[in-house]
Amino acid sequence: MPSKEETLNKQDIFNDGFWFNNAIFAQLLGMCPLLGVTTTAENGFWMGLATLAVLLCSNLIVSLVRGFIPDEVRIPAYIVIIASLVTVVELAMNAWMHDMYLILGLFIPLIVVNCAILGRAEAFASKNNVSDSLVDALGMGLGFTFALLLLGGVRELLGQGELFGFNILGDAYPDVLLFILPPGAFIALGFILAGVNVINQRLQAKKDAVLQAEKQGAAQNV
Amino acid sequence: MTFDKEQQKIAFTLFVVGLVAATMLALVDKWTAGPIAEAQRQALHQSLEQVLPEHSNDPLKDMFLFPIAKEENIKIFPAKDKKGDVIAYAWEQIAPDGYSGTIRILMGVRVSGEIAAIRVTFHKETPGLGDGIIKNKTWLNAFIDKTLTNATWLVKKDGGDFDQFTGATITPRAVVKTVHKGLVFYKKNQVDMLKRAYTVAMKSNEEGGKK
Repeated sequence: MPSKEETLNKQDIFNDGFWFNNAIFAQLLGMCPLLGVTTTAENGFWMGLATLAVLLCSNLIVSLVRGFIPDEVRIPAYIVIIASLVTVVELAMNAWMHDMYLILGLFIPLIVVNCAILGRAEAFASKNNVSDSLVDALGMGLGFTFALLLLGGVRELLGQGELFGFNILGDAYPDVLLFILPPGAFIALGFILAGVNVINQRLQAKKDAVLQAEKQGAAQNV
Repeated sequence: MTFDKEQQKIAFTLFVVGLVAATMLALVDKWTAGPIAEAQRQALHQSLEQVLPEHSNDPLKDMFLFPIAKEENIKIFPAKDKKGDVIAYAWEQIAPDGYSGTIRILMGVRVSGEIAAIRVTFHKETPGLGDGIIKNKTWLNAFIDKTLTNATWLVKKDGGDFDQFTGATITPRAVVKTVHKGLVFYKKNQVDMLKRAYTVAMKSNEEGGKK
């Protein structure tokens, strides 16, 4: 029996999470880790992957238990699930990625309050089947990682003239300190958002043009 | 007070969620405790190798406790040459006044009172600014061979010998102050420290001989 769930296209779910409904670019969620850790591309990348890991597990579990959790207590139940997963990620990082843990350690617990994760549990995983929820988590998580990596890269390049710790702009480049500081994060994010909007407008224009052409073609055929 | 079926179900669900989460956390904690301890030991070992001059003992194994106050000890890691003579010590000195929280500094000091090298083992300073105390090797190397008398223990902004970072003065200031405090501590306690190092070494030798 075909249910409404199965009509969702996996590619659409992924694209939606990665780009059109991107946690940072479209929803402006998860600003705390965004501002806190994106001083370098590497920090942003690993924070993104840690968030992706938590998001995959939380969407999986929430989607599995969605039939059993009464509506009245779903939020506390989800928070307990997410908080436990974050703690697991924190312990695992401490054990097997000790150097990264020393850098990101402070921000890992904050993944719990990243509303992008609770948002996905509430808006998607609690209403959809396991495989769709995993695709959604993958798209959202990778989109989040991409956003953090991009912002971290821009700030590292402008603030220190480096990318992933490699000197790119040469020693003569005067480091623009502002971009390392929190205001620089907002400024860089503003320009990135403007760029994203330009891309989205072009995409929309293209789509409209195609639709227009199809309409005209249809009209001519008639 | 009685609860209807619906309320019982809600309470039971939350109970189960909490129970499962707690069990999982306990298991993961137990499972990672070993690797975490090992990673921390490894990190300490690496830092020790960086702050101590060339030595032929295992400073981790020869660690001894040194009293700094009543019922308060610090761990001291001695470096010894082939003959078993102590040539340097390393210990952790804590700066309480970083930009955001405490900074832990592992300092290696030669018996003569010169700094062999320092490394920061824990900090919460701003990434990209204050964390130069970890990444900036030139800055760290400026401490090498400094003694209480051959340097002015302040950052340049305050008229001293040590650079501050662009945008971060508080962090290097805290480190400089704390390393200086460490040197003062060493000067005051060097005789006791040496005595203690040898008595501990003799004790462990005797124990080894008995076996």
